[in-house]
Amino acid sequence: MSGHVRGFARFVGRTASRAWHHPIPTGKVWEQAWFIGVKAMPILLTMTAFIGSNLALQGYYAFKALGGQSLLGMFVSLAGVREMAPLMVAAMTAAKAGTEMASQLAVMRIREQIDALEVMSIDPYTWLVVPRCLGILIALPALTMMCILTLIGTAWLVTMLQLGESGPQFLHTAFGALTGQDLWIALFKAAVFGLLISLISCYCGFRSKPGPRGVGDATNAAVVTSAVVCAVVNYLISEWMYA
Amino acid sequence: MSEPIISLRGVSKAFGDLVVLDDVDLDIPAGQTTAIIGPSGTGKSVLLKHIVGLLHPDAGHVFVEGVDVTTVSEAELYEVRKSMGMLFQNGALFDAMSTGDNIALPLRHHTSLSEAEIRARVEEVLEMVELPGLYDRPTSALSGGQRKRVGLARAIVLQPEIVLFDEPNSGLDPLTSDTIDRLIVRMKETLGVTFLVITHDIVSAAHIADHIAMLHRGKVEAFAPTAEFLRSTSPVVRRFLQRNLDLDATTAGGAPRLPHLD
Amino acid sequence: MTRLASMSPGLPRATRFCGELGQRVVTGTMYPALIADHMWTLASRSALPVLATTLPTGMVVALQGLNVFDLFGAQRLLSSLISVAVFRELSPVLSSMLVAAQGGASFAAELGSMRIQEEIDATEVMAIDSLRLHVLPRVIAAVITTPLMHLLGTGAGIAGGWVVAVLMRGEPSGVYWANLWALTQPLDLWGGVLKTAVFGLIIGLTATYRGYFATGGAPGVGVAVNETVVQSVLGFVAANYVLTSLMYGSAP
Repeated sequence: MSGHVRGFARFVGRTASRAWHHPIPTGKVWEQAWFIGVKAMPILLTMTAFIGSNLALQGYYAFKALGGQSLLGMFVSLAGVREMAPLMVAAMTAAKAGTEMASQLAVMRIREQIDALEVMSIDPYTWLVVPRCLGILIALPALTMMCILTLIGTAWLVTMLQLGESGPQFLHTAFGALTGQDLWIALFKAAVFGLLISLISCYCGFRSKPGPRGVGDATNAAVVTSAVVCAVVNYLISEWMYA
Repeated sequence: MSEPIISLRGVSKAFGDLVVLDDVDLDIPAGQTTAIIGPSGTGKSVLLKHIVGLLHPDAGHVFVEGVDVTTVSEAELYEVRKSMGMLFQNGALFDAMSTGDNIALPLRHHTSLSEAEIRARVEEVLEMVELPGLYDRPTSALSGGQRKRVGLARAIVLQPEIVLFDEPNSGLDPLTSDTIDRLIVRMKETLGVTFLVITHDIVSAAHIADHIAMLHRGKVEAFAPTAEFLRSTSPVVRRFLQRNLDLDATTAGGAPRLPHLD
Repeated sequence: MTRLASMSPGLPRATRFCGELGQRVVTGTMYPALIADHMWTLASRSALPVLATTLPTGMVVALQGLNVFDLFGAQRLLSSLISVAVFRELSPVLSSMLVAAQGGASFAAELGSMRIQEEIDATEVMAIDSLRLHVLPRVIAAVITTPLMHLLGTGAGIAGGWVVAVLMRGEPSGVYWANLWALTQPLDLWGGVLKTAVFGLIIGLTATYRGYFATGGAPGVGVAVNETVVQSVLGFVAANYVLTSLMYGSAP
């Protein structure tokens, strides 16, 4: 465990110093941003649509007991924008983009391609890790923005169509409760989560053990570690920003 | 030639556009060792997987001990398989089990032997493959050659009528490879059952087999008793023999073998 | 009839896979020892990650809840809100997510590498039913273990809320515990367990299916793990919406 913490710290240090001192392969960064963004988008939007619908349902059933259906919009937008959207986007990005990074790099590791890069004097951190971290840093805030809109939109649809409540009132309380600060914090969270997911996943890939089992285990470790770290960091950011 | 124990009739198989087996007819004689040789990627392993019913042909039939394994029910197929043992290319040992438990698996599932009897039988077959006392060794601690022998021990533990070998020499150094060849020959003398060996190593095939068939471009190019096969005039066979024997001369004792990367 | 192993990928094969498993549940041996083994693997691998995600999430709910309730002077409702939020939604979804990411992924990795290394073929050639031996115990273990992880996650979430409300914000502990179950109903308990059992089934089936039919060497195992996590999470988030509608929509 402590070996992994030290190894990870070294890994992050190396990546940061390469990003600082070496020219950044801009083309590869955009390629990764595009790759992560476009591949993850349908899944993320589908998932946030279901999360939004469910938030509306649960909020409605809970508030109905207290006679406060009119607060539904506020509940959805605050719970959704402040916490659910960043956290769920992080979890799903870890599951989709993070596992992909980990398994790609793990396969490169066990096939000695990473060693081959070193032998050819191509720095694997600059070439493989930096573009993935910066790419996700660009893609994830943009995705989070789309997910927030999807989440509120589907909650609005469920409120009107399934629950038979007033749509305009929902939108009024939903957007009335949101401040610009909430959005900025959500985007900030997304950027931090993106960086953490990419670093953790690349680290797990780099440390893969040989064989098909090694690739599977590295991929597995990447998604779980990312999810746990994001949940903890989410609390820390909320504590810092909202308390 | 004695009665065939395995017969292929018009077997064809393609994966997408790639035709791997093209209308193959083949009779494997009972109680003898037959080797099927051919360059890599000619569908030797695919042919083997048709015999054990892991693959289903696009056309044709495969008869094992008179049963058509392409049409029988799953339950009947399992009955046929109980009379077959197979050594997989890399052993296909279960990583999660010890060496002994791997070999004991068929006994635990298909016999009502007590644990003590199972243990005794496993020790006995470990003895036969010259690995006595390895019962409790984890499979991860076995070398490549040992994995193959344990795989072989597992294949013969139920005293099958037919033993199938998928590339018994691949990935082994020439010395270990020779040891495996000798083991197969001695095993054949002890058990007296049908052996079918898939290999790309003509030296090994010539050493262990009574009959050799050559598979080329999805068809059986030649099939004859070993001595006759080695004198074959077919240009494809000659080219294959020539290349392997040349290499044999340069390495003195076996064809050079590249490690398997996957 | 063509055999399962030789079918090409797609819905018919997936349906057949589930059907064959269902048939094996009704007939023949179940290998309880193997089920227990896999349950232990799942629980021991998932428990810590479940705790480590539901605890901070319970803390976040308390934090945000207090922000809102302070406006109305309704702090005493905090623990009721936390228990409802955690019991109904956060714990089922987060715990199942972690079971999928940790346990489901490791099932897919195990079966995938067994497929690649021909261990599954070897099982079949030894005339042993590979679905019954390697797949079914894992699916059943997932169905039983996921609800257990959900209950664990609920406890951790409520504890996390208590840490923030009582220890950090100084709300009275007695009020926190007294109002804890004010809004929860029996439906929340058995509903959550039922929901997570369904999620466990989705995770178990997705993981074993992806692993059992993995192709393409070592990279194929990585792909199987990736697809398992993504598809099972999407699957149960969708199922969650349907189940919530059915369970709470029909309740008074």
